[in-house]
Amino acid sequence: MHIAEGYLPPVQAAAWFAVSTPFVVHGARSLVHEVRANPEAKLLLGASGAFAFVLSALKIPSVTGSCSHPTGVGLGAILFRAPVMSVLGTIVLLFQALLLAHGGLSTLGANVFSMAVVGPWVAYGVYRLGRRLGGGLGVSVFFAAALADLATYCVTSAQLALAFPDPDSGFVGALAKFGSIFALTQIPLAVSEGLLTVLVIRLLTRVSPDDLRRLGILRRPAPTPGAVA
Amino acid sequence: MLALDAAAYAGPWRYRHPGEKALLAVGLLGCALLLPAWPGGALTGLTAAAVLLGPAGLPPRVLLRAVRAPLLFIGTGCLPMLVAVSGPGSVRWAPEGLATAAATAGRAGAALLCLLLFAATTPLADVLPRLHRLGVPVAVTEVAALIYRMLFLLLDSARAVRQAQAARLGYRTWAAAHRSLAGQAGAVFVRAFDRARRMEEGLALRGYTGSLAVVTEARRPSAAFVAGTVLLLAGVVLAAHLLPTATALLTDLPPVADR
Repeated sequence: MHIAEGYLPPVQAAAWFAVSTPFVVHGARSLVHEVRANPEAKLLLGASGAFAFVLSALKIPSVTGSCSHPTGVGLGAILFRAPVMSVLGTIVLLFQALLLAHGGLSTLGANVFSMAVVGPWVAYGVYRLGRRLGGGLGVSVFFAAALADLATYCVTSAQLALAFPDPDSGFVGALAKFGSIFALTQIPLAVSEGLLTVLVIRLLTRVSPDDLRRLGILRRPAPTPGAVA
Repeated sequence: MLALDAAAYAGPWRYRHPGEKALLAVGLLGCALLLPAWPGGALTGLTAAAVLLGPAGLPPRVLLRAVRAPLLFIGTGCLPMLVAVSGPGSVRWAPEGLATAAATAGRAGAALLCLLLFAATTPLADVLPRLHRLGVPVAVTEVAALIYRMLFLLLDSARAVRQAQAARLGYRTWAAAHRSLAGQAGAVFVRAFDRARRMEEGLALRGYTGSLAVVTEARRPSAAFVAGTVLLLAGVVLAAHLLPTATALLTDLPPVADR
């Protein structure tokens, strides 16, 4: 759910830039560090970013009968980790603004905070927690992707409620209004995206296990004594 | 190709310096955000639309298709401003919210046209190599350039896979659609990584040392264009300030019969 260009008052748009900047700078630093240590990683990161863009362009069927686009932040954060996703997500959001007019330049800070910071960190945290608690890959991936989507939608609703408080009940009333109007599409979409992400990960473990090992999703098989000899 | 990028490559401003177009579009965007929605936002929106459809040569069909999704968000986002919630289950119409909704929609609509003015006239390939001059680390701009280079190929792959799945009734039911989508995403992932690996091998054979610098065509900004932009921006700001005063003066005039 991208906040459209010019929708937020200028002061709030600037404030969201200020809030997002430390996360993006931290991500950019880790990206620069990674690229310096391993120049080939640049190509992998480019492929990952392009994949994230294409993922957000896929049409996903919603329970309400309409079609929506997945955010892709859950899958991205599980595959490429949250700090890297904050930079890749920022680039993808800039591309979406300039190539599709989805989102905007003035609202880039707010969109980055919801879709490239909060979403990926929630997904990464839930996925790691699920795996640590002994949850299976499928269950951890489902909750990571669905909750990341819900977190993104909740943050966007909060950003809109802060910008346009209700005349009677202020921020809380506005949060309920914006939350309920977008819930119609976003809650079914979160469930759909969770299911889709599980199917994608299952498929990838079958057709592309080496790439998943390279990304640290699957463990490398322990060498058998016979193979060493 | 995506419609806006294709329009930027085919448009009459293709070979203008990106800085000139950024000055015009970002200047107008600043006017849309900072001037009062009426008449500032309206004037800015009209100016951006006139430039887009006139000298920038954007086909109206492309413009209409590009504004559809953002306008849907703006329309849906303005609806909650027309109601007020005073407690659980207590909702009333809020006529006082109409002004806020109209101002927000006007500002966002004008700003959207300003964004399109830049997006539909400037190919991203012209912008990305120049981003490091704004302080963006070279590694980040190079990754962005790689994403741009790969995404059209991957979009084509995704489209081809979807077409093949649809021809085999892959989207007939809700469950089949999810399976097909997972297959589509999986195919794109495998192709993205395969392409990265092939590029890695190709670059290694050419003595890749970690730099992907490309030659950027040297273009000089046109002084006439910059001067015209400054005049246009000054005109919009001046008109936005003078129009309310002129309207107030006209409404204060006594009817002709009394003069």
